[in-house]
Amino acid sequence: MPEQRVVDTDYLLLEAPRERKFITGAQAMAEAVKRANVDIAIAYPITPQSEVMHLVGDLWAQGYLKDYYRAEEEYGAMSAIAGAVRGGARAFSATSGPGLLRGLEAIASWPGHRIPAVLGVLTRVVNAPLSIQPDNIEIAYLLNCGMVVLHAENQQDVFDFTLAGFVISEKVDVYIPVAVCTEGFFVTHAKGYVSMTPEDMKLPPRDPYKAPVPPTDCEIPPARIQRDAPVQKSNFMSYLIHAVWQQEVWSSNIRAMKYIYKYLGGPIEVVNPDAEVFIVASGCAAAQGREAVRYAQMEGLNVGLVKVKSIRPFPEKEIREVLKKAKAVIVPEHNIVGWLAKEVKATIPDNEKVIGGPRVYGGMTLPVELIMEKIYDAFGIKKEKKVVV
Amino acid sequence: MKVVPGPAGYIPTPPAFEGVELPPPGKALLYGEIVDEEVAMREAAKALLTRRNPTIFPGPLVLWGWNASAMEKAKAVLELAMEIPNCRIIPMPDYRPKYPKIDPEAEINPNHPNLTILHNKIEVCIFVGVHCHYANLSLRMIRAGTNCFTIALCGEMGHEDAMVSLRDVHAEEIRRFKDVVVQVREELGIKWEPKLPPENPSLPKENWETLSVLDYGEYSYLLIPRKGEYVPESE
Amino acid sequence: MGLEYVRISPGFEKYMPKDYVDLVQYGPFGRQVDVQQLGQFKELVEEHPMCAGCFMAYFIRIFYAALPNPEDTIVIGTAGCARLALSQAAVPFIYGNYGDTNAVASGLKRALTIRFPDKVKDVVVIAGDGGLIDIGFGMTMHSWFRKEKFTTIMVDNEVYGNTGGQESGMSPKGVQLKMAPKGKQFDKINAVELAKVAGCVYVAKLAPTNPKRIARTIRRAILAARHFGPTFIHAYTSCNIEYSIPTDKVLEDARKREKQDFAFYEWMTDEVKEYFEEIEKQSQEVKV
Repeated sequence: MPEQRVVDTDYLLLEAPRERKFITGAQAMAEAVKRANVDIAIAYPITPQSEVMHLVGDLWAQGYLKDYYRAEEEYGAMSAIAGAVRGGARAFSATSGPGLLRGLEAIASWPGHRIPAVLGVLTRVVNAPLSIQPDNIEIAYLLNCGMVVLHAENQQDVFDFTLAGFVISEKVDVYIPVAVCTEGFFVTHAKGYVSMTPEDMKLPPRDPYKAPVPPTDCEIPPARIQRDAPVQKSNFMSYLIHAVWQQEVWSSNIRAMKYIYKYLGGPIEVVNPDAEVFIVASGCAAAQGREAVRYAQMEGLNVGLVKVKSIRPFPEKEIREVLKKAKAVIVPEHNIVGWLAKEVKATIPDNEKVIGGPRVYGGMTLPVELIMEKIYDAFGIKKEKKVVV
Repeated sequence: MKVVPGPAGYIPTPPAFEGVELPPPGKALLYGEIVDEEVAMREAAKALLTRRNPTIFPGPLVLWGWNASAMEKAKAVLELAMEIPNCRIIPMPDYRPKYPKIDPEAEINPNHPNLTILHNKIEVCIFVGVHCHYANLSLRMIRAGTNCFTIALCGEMGHEDAMVSLRDVHAEEIRRFKDVVVQVREELGIKWEPKLPPENPSLPKENWETLSVLDYGEYSYLLIPRKGEYVPESE
Repeated sequence: MGLEYVRISPGFEKYMPKDYVDLVQYGPFGRQVDVQQLGQFKELVEEHPMCAGCFMAYFIRIFYAALPNPEDTIVIGTAGCARLALSQAAVPFIYGNYGDTNAVASGLKRALTIRFPDKVKDVVVIAGDGGLIDIGFGMTMHSWFRKEKFTTIMVDNEVYGNTGGQESGMSPKGVQLKMAPKGKQFDKINAVELAKVAGCVYVAKLAPTNPKRIARTIRRAILAARHFGPTFIHAYTSCNIEYSIPTDKVLEDARKREKQDFAFYEWMTDEVKEYFEEIEKQSQEVKV
C-alpha cells in the first residue's frame, strides 16, 4: 500500500507545491487519478485511451484504487460506473471515438441520474471508415447530454482538469459527470511538461451523504427509494415532472461555472485582449493558435488568442465580452463540422466576422501556416505562394 | 430574475438559467437575491404568519431517525411547528412515484407536489430535510402551478426556486428561525399558544393488534369464506 | 446499520402516513417471515398497476416475502413489466437503461463491497426475458463470467409484454406474436444451461406454483450469492394478456407448463450444496 495522506481539497488543487515532470498525456491523466482517491475504475480497450486505463490498472495493482476490472464493452462499463457511483464509490473511466458512441446511451443518462464521475475522452476518428487517429468530432455528440465538458490543450491541462473534475462533479449543487476531453495521440502519446502535486497527497474520499440525491446503499432513508423512476405524466405524476428534471440537470451544468473559475482559473484564457483579430480555439488547436499568435506578433500583427477550456457550460458572457471589438474571429478545429465555430457564432451578435476554419480532420495535424493564411486574409495582406517545382 | 410566488405559467424558467446564484455561506436567498440571513428569516416568518394554511413538509432526512443529528433536527422541526399558528405537518416520506395516487391530505410527493398544495389550499410552506434534487423539482413545479410561497431550509447550499432559501440549516438554525418566527409573531400582535399540529389524517382509528374477524359479527363471512366455499370473483 | 433507516424519528409517528407506520410496525424488517404468513404482516409491495392475472405480480409478492434481509437488499430492474411492481416496494430499486441490469449490478455490488466489507448487502436483479437474454445478453453473460456476487432472477413471460407483445428470444418456437407474424422461427433459448456454462454457482428453474418452494429457492439463491458467486433463477411467469389466458386459468396454465418444460430443476456446485446443508441443519436445530 503506497503512503498517501488525505489533504484539504482546496489546498491540493490551489496551494500544494508542484513538481515538474516530462510525461505523456495518458500518464498525466493516470497521475491525476492517483491523487484523486478513486475507489473504482472500469476499463475497456480502445485506442488511444487504452494507455490511460492500463496505467490506472497498474495503480490498482499498486494499491491506489480499491477496485478495477475490464468490462465486456463500453455500454457495460458505463452502466457499471453508474451502478458503482449509485452505491457511493468514486469512479473513473475513459473511452474514445466509437467507444464513446457505443456507451453514449449510458453516458447520456448519467446527468439525469445525478452521477458524479469523471470520464476521460481521448478523441479519435468516429467510423466509418475506421481510423485510430485524432479527430474530435465525438465531442459534438457529448454537448447535448448535460454533462460538464472540458477540453484540455496539453498534458498539463489533462492533469489539472482530471483532478479538478472529481472535485467539481461532487459539489452538491453540481453533481453531474465531467468529461475531460483531449486529442488522442497528439496529447496522449506525446510528452510535455506537467507540474504535479506531490504523490503522497490525495483528495478526501467521496462522501455520498453530502449529495443532492441519496446513494442506494440501504444506509440512508428513504427506505422506499426509487431515485429516478420512469416518470411520465399520469394521474400520479405532474406533466412537468420530466421537464423540471431536465431543467435541474442544466441548472447544475450552469452552477458548475463558479467552480471552473475557482479551480481552473476560468472557462477561457485570453492572450492579448486588445487584439484586432482573435483566434478562438480549444484543445490542441489552441496550442497551434498560440504558435500562430507568436508568429503574427513577430510580424507586427495584432492577433490574440481565446483558449476555451470549458465547452459546457459554454462561457457565453466571457466570449461576448472578449470578442466585442474584434475585427475577425478565426476558429481552427480538429473536426469537419466545426462544433466550436457553431458555438461561437451562436453566442456573439455580429457573427459574420467568424471564420469557421481552418479545419483539419481524419488524423491530420494542424500546421500553423494554415492559421497564418487566415490571419493574413483577415488583415487583407496578400502573401505570395512560393511553389517549388 | 425575481423569484416570486407563482403561478409562473405552463413551463417555468429555472432561475439558474436567468443568472440567479446560490448564496455563499452565511447568507441567504430572498426572491432570488442574496441577502443576510436575518432579512430572509423575517420575510419568511411574515409569510408564515400572514398567508393561509402554513404547512411544513419534512423530508426523509428528518422523518427517519437514521442518525442522532436527524433525530435532533426532527425535534427542532416539531418545536418550530408548535410556534406557527394553525400549522400543519404533511410529510414527504419518500421520492418514488406512488401508484395509484397519494392521499394529498396525508403526504406530499416530489413527482406531483401540486396535488397536495392545491388540495389543501396551501399558500405558504416550508421544505426541510428533503434531498436537494427533489426539493428543486418540487419547488419549481409549485412555482409553476400554484401561488404558494415556498421556504427552503436547506442542509446544503440552498435552492434558487424557493422564495426564501436558507443554507447549512441544522437543528440549531431551525431553532434560530423559530425564535425569529416568535419575535415577528409578537410584533404583528398575533396571539398563539404553542401547540403541536394535528396528526396525519390517514392514521387508523382502530387498534389492529386487538382487532379480530369476530369483531365484524355476521359480516365475518365476507372476509373469510365458509369451508368448501369457492369465491370466483372479488371486488 | 440497516435497520436504523426504517425507524421513524421520535415525535413524527403521528405525522407519517398510515402505510409507513404499518411498514415500521408490522413489516418484515429485521425478522424472518414465512411466506405462509402472507396477509398477517405488512408486505413490502404496495399497490401496483400490473394486469389482473399477471403471474409476475404474484411471483414478485412472494419474492418480497422471501427476502432474508429486506433492510439490506437492493433490487435492480429495467424496462419491462416487472419494474411496475418492483418500484412500488419498500426496498431500494434502481432502474437504468434497458438491458444494463447486470452491468449496473456488477458496479453496485463492487462499490458496496468496497464501502461495507463486513456487512451483508444483497443485490438482486429481477428482469424479464427481453432485458436479460436479448438486449442485455452480453452484460448478463459477462457478469456471470466475472463471477460477480449477486442474484439474477428472470421473470420469463416469453414475450416483450410491456411494449405490446413482441416475440422474444425466450418465446417458444412457432408461436405467433407481434414482429413474428409467421410464427417464431427459432427455438426457446436455454437460459439455464447458459447460466451453468457461464459460471453461476446456483441455478434453478421453476414454474411458481408452490409458494414455499418459490420462497426457498429465492432464499437459497440470495444466500449462495453472498459468498460463492452469481446465482440465477429462471421463473415462468406467464403474460395472460399476450397469451390470452383467462385470469382464473393462469395457475392451471403454470401447472401444465410445470409438467412440460418448467419442471422444477435445481443445480448447484458442491460448495454451495454443503453450505445449504449446514445452514438448513442449523435452522432445523433452532426450530427444534
